[in-house]
Amino acid sequence: MQYSPENMVPFGPVHPALKEPEYFKLILEGEKIVEVIPRIGYVHRGIERAAQDRTWIKNVYLFERICGICSFAHSIAYTQAIETLLQFEVPRRARYIRLIISELERIHSHLLWLGLVGYWTGFDTLFMWIWKDREHVLDLEEAITGNRIHKSYSTISGVRKDLPDNIGDALKREMKYIEERSEYYKTLVFSEETLVSRTKGIGRINQDITKKLCPVGPLLRCNGFSRDVRVEDPYAAYDEIIPDVKTSHDGDIASLLLLRIEEVKESCRLVLEAYEKIPSGPVKLTIPRSVPKGEAMFHVEAPRGELFYFIRSPGGTVPDRVKIRTPTMANLLTASEMLKGHTLADVPVVLTGMDPCFGCMDRVSIVELDKSKQWAIRGEELRQYGIDWYKQRRNKN
Amino acid sequence: MDSEKLQEIAIRVGGQVAKFRKSTILTVSPDRAKEACQLILTELPEFHHLSTITGIDDDPSITLYYHFWQGKDFLTVKTGVPKTDPVIPSFVDILPSALLYEAEVKDLLGVLFQGNPLMQRRLLLPDSYPPEAPPPLRKEADPEKIRRMMELE
Repeated sequence: MQYSPENMVPFGPVHPALKEPEYFKLILEGEKIVEVIPRIGYVHRGIERAAQDRTWIKNVYLFERICGICSFAHSIAYTQAIETLLQFEVPRRARYIRLIISELERIHSHLLWLGLVGYWTGFDTLFMWIWKDREHVLDLEEAITGNRIHKSYSTISGVRKDLPDNIGDALKREMKYIEERSEYYKTLVFSEETLVSRTKGIGRINQDITKKLCPVGPLLRCNGFSRDVRVEDPYAAYDEIIPDVKTSHDGDIASLLLLRIEEVKESCRLVLEAYEKIPSGPVKLTIPRSVPKGEAMFHVEAPRGELFYFIRSPGGTVPDRVKIRTPTMANLLTASEMLKGHTLADVPVVLTGMDPCFGCMDRVSIVELDKSKQWAIRGEELRQYGIDWYKQRRNKN
Repeated sequence: MDSEKLQEIAIRVGGQVAKFRKSTILTVSPDRAKEACQLILTELPEFHHLSTITGIDDDPSITLYYHFWQGKDFLTVKTGVPKTDPVIPSFVDILPSALLYEAEVKDLLGVLFQGNPLMQRRLLLPDSYPPEAPPPLRKEADPEKIRRMMELE
């Protein structure tokens, strides 16, 4: 099959908040997708280069701004990599607090994603309900850290400040609320015909391909692989508060939905258990300004999967190199594979399925092989196209 | 990790093993790196997850790290290519997940992975990035100069 690579239409240059907007070039045969070519980097800001000019501590706040959703995952991955080099034992209380914030972040990220699936399938009510519930979690994060998204909470050797005194009641109340709502969404999602028909059997790939393409996080777990950094290589307090890794075997978007709802419930349990068992003590230590010479790798389970940091210190106050591999980068090839064989109408749901930073979907270009014409389509138009396509098919039946 | 098997692999490819905390580093020459990865995949199959590829400009060479992860361990294959001729065979045929990671290293450090289908175009850098400018993560890349070349100022 021949196509011309110069038909690439660039995806709009910058989304101010996100690191990873991808551009997918889709090659179609009629309505069927036969080839997917990703191109990323339109908001590549050169953060890894910028880090080489800043001190270790300043970089904590720089890396947090890579992602507007899992900012805390970035800051703890980076700070823990430095703690490995410093050979620091982080205070136990700080490790528990890190776990609580990580799990709250996972809840709000998964809820955001569930809402988006509702939006892309034309189920706007679901989208609004879930995003309203997400506010409860963001309020909690604000009460604990002082901010909703960019918390600047983790620091080298611990966290910046202790939990507020009266947070226990709010935590228990909100976690109970989110758990109840998740249970409700689980029944709702699978009793709603539109959602089921648009997610069941969509985006399925076989296990061998999954293993070869090395995706991370829910995309891996929905294919039956029980891999989770929190359990395999525990950090923060995950060695004491052990998560129950959820998996499913269908590998389609419906199983991703179920998996993420289950993970939200599990995260609620972890937050409450950690709060019950949290020890007293300091939350940070005094740290030296310079970091000894050496190299360290660290990874954490961000909401979207394994987030990897590699740092190299020349022995001083500024890093020599910081390498970051975000989960979407690892999931990109798998998502492209998931699209093959499906129709254009499934593109928004499958691409949302991998939980990319959603700026990605603003525009894709489409090449039709038999008509050899090409046009660019905006995210909103594609969403409407998907909704209409399924409506028509339902009417035919 | 089965360190005996790793030692065996190291001897077969003429490499050296070093350990720091959780990470084990196998240093090999660039012409044996692919063989080393292939041996890891067959002899230590639990390390089938390639986390990423890191490239660092260590004048006069570019150091490449292939990070494999399993359980509590990282196994890293380390090799170096000279900056004057930064060419290494692509691992895409044995490790399909290396496709984008190699393209990223090529964009940011100018290493050519022979056999990777993405070598002819850019993955990360903007189309307006001047081809005569050094790749951005090279030591000689000066952000001010590049900005001027791109007429951003």
